[in-house]
Amino acid sequence: MNRTYGYISVAGRKQLAVVRIALRQQWAYKTDFLLRACLLLLLLYVLGQLYGAAYAGDYDRAIGGFTLRQVVWYLVFTEAITMAGPPVGARIEEEVKNGDIAVRLTRPLSYVGFHYGSYMGEGVLRFIVLLVAGGMVAWLTVGPPALGYGPIAYLPLALLGLTLSFLMTAAVGLCAFWVEETRGLEFVLQKLTFTAGGLLIPIDLMPEWLQRVCAWLPFQAALYLPARLGVRFDGQELLRACSLQLAWIAALSLLVAFIFRRGAGKLHVNGG
Amino acid sequence: MKLALETRALGKTFKVKEKQAGLRGSLKSLFAPQWKEKTAVDRIDLSVSAGETVALLGPNGAGKSTTIKMLTGILHPTAGEATVAGLVPWRERTKLAYRIGTVFGQKSQLWYHLPPVDTFELISRVYELDRVDYARRRDRLVERFELGPYMHTPVRKLSLGERMRCEIAASFLHRPQILFLDEPTLGLDVVVKERIREIIRERNREEETTVFLTSHDAGDVERLCSRAIVIHHGGVLLDRPVALLRRELLSGKTITVTLADAEDPASVAEWFGRRAWSPMPEGVELAAIEGRRIRLAIDLARTDMNELLASLTQAARIADLTVEDPTLEDIIKHIYGMEKTKGGEPT
Repeated sequence: MNRTYGYISVAGRKQLAVVRIALRQQWAYKTDFLLRACLLLLLLYVLGQLYGAAYAGDYDRAIGGFTLRQVVWYLVFTEAITMAGPPVGARIEEEVKNGDIAVRLTRPLSYVGFHYGSYMGEGVLRFIVLLVAGGMVAWLTVGPPALGYGPIAYLPLALLGLTLSFLMTAAVGLCAFWVEETRGLEFVLQKLTFTAGGLLIPIDLMPEWLQRVCAWLPFQAALYLPARLGVRFDGQELLRACSLQLAWIAALSLLVAFIFRRGAGKLHVNGG
Repeated sequence: MKLALETRALGKTFKVKEKQAGLRGSLKSLFAPQWKEKTAVDRIDLSVSAGETVALLGPNGAGKSTTIKMLTGILHPTAGEATVAGLVPWRERTKLAYRIGTVFGQKSQLWYHLPPVDTFELISRVYELDRVDYARRRDRLVERFELGPYMHTPVRKLSLGERMRCEIAASFLHRPQILFLDEPTLGLDVVVKERIREIIRERNREEETTVFLTSHDAGDVERLCSRAIVIHHGGVLLDRPVALLRRELLSGKTITVTLADAEDPASVAEWFGRRAWSPMPEGVELAAIEGRRIRLAIDLARTDMNELLASLTQAARIADLTVEDPTLEDIIKHIYGMEKTKGGEPT
């Protein structure tokens, strides 16, 4: 027991060191921050106009249980998670292709763990910036979010959502051990996350059969659940959402570990 | 003597997809792919003692980097066994990482937008170094590698030479028992190369770090290593002390002399023969004459460099003079030829 605790504690300290250095490196990409924030503002403006037309400007009307104000804040919450994630799949593919993976594999640190630390270090900083930028636009256009536990619950759920996004993208990136190009797979994954994850339309507004399909997929746990609880808090739902996220994290972690283990055995490092 | 690493019949074969040219070939390879087996490393036996400095040499595609990658646990072999610092690399990769250091000349471990001091800090955390010991060690390496002015400069602003010094210093932070260097001096100028060799030698002397390197630079082998292993077509061709190799093969130099006098290039050959030496001293061959430039092939085992230079400067006014080592490719070609004539196909 003590040995396991010691191992986890050491691994945690190493991860934290990676998070810290990734966070520092992220400061170098100020233009990237600015561009992402501008893109988010543009997206929110266009989508706000669309939803404004759908609600006919009526702030009291509810569609699928969401008012116009809730939908706009929902969009801020899902977009902040989606746009915060660094392109970890492309990075892994690149490392496998050009042989840089060699440098990572000769360190006493898990390869996937390193990328997770780096992803969270970069992702969390971007997430905060995007949340603040998007939140300001939403506040100015539809008013503040519903006060209460929602926004507080959203933050830890969003972190778990980022973890889920990482695991899904890493699983695709690690396919580079077998296939020469993973961009196609990543494109499919991204579009599935956008639709089945409820990025632009809350799942409650989708046809019932689609809602049933989405319930069996991990995408909604990454985006829809944190955002919905952020705008429409429910104590019991929070517990269910959290359990679902943790269950998907456990399942996807096993999948990623399996892919990595199998892939590392047949790795052909390029570049000399 | 304690062994640093040992391999027995270590081999690696890859399956390579073969594609025919054109769209038809691409379609055919999509539905009925054809695979060819390529042997990168052919059952090699190596044994390196602790504290040794060994160069693994060979032309491109000989299997040097693949061997290093198997010994560091990155690649899994398809045949044979190996132990490095008492561990099986591909089975105990993480444990082994604490005992070895690696420098891959073309790949960087430094964070591009951050100063090296940040990467050093990360390495100290990853290798779980004691804070006080780490600070002392870092300061010592910074002093020895003369990194003071660069430690707080973003890596992207460092020259290749400065970056490589940081890379190698970083790989020494956790006091590795064995240091694997894959082309550590590639692309560096003579001064930086020499400095890097000197410091690696110093670490080897002071901490008995075993050094295992691959290089295309004969200078790395001559100045850094006590033993050279030449591999070709994935198998060991020659395993010999560098001192012996130096006597036999590294003694060949090329001297290029540019004459200061405005001699008629056409008559330089005649002039050279008349005024410099007649006949040509033993161990010296006239390789080429290009205008006012004369290239001489020298065998230091048979002629004395001091006497040679003295006689040259006496014979003519010299505008420029360079002495070059033979390229490693030339040496390997030579070895390959030697082995062939010795007993048919090389082993």
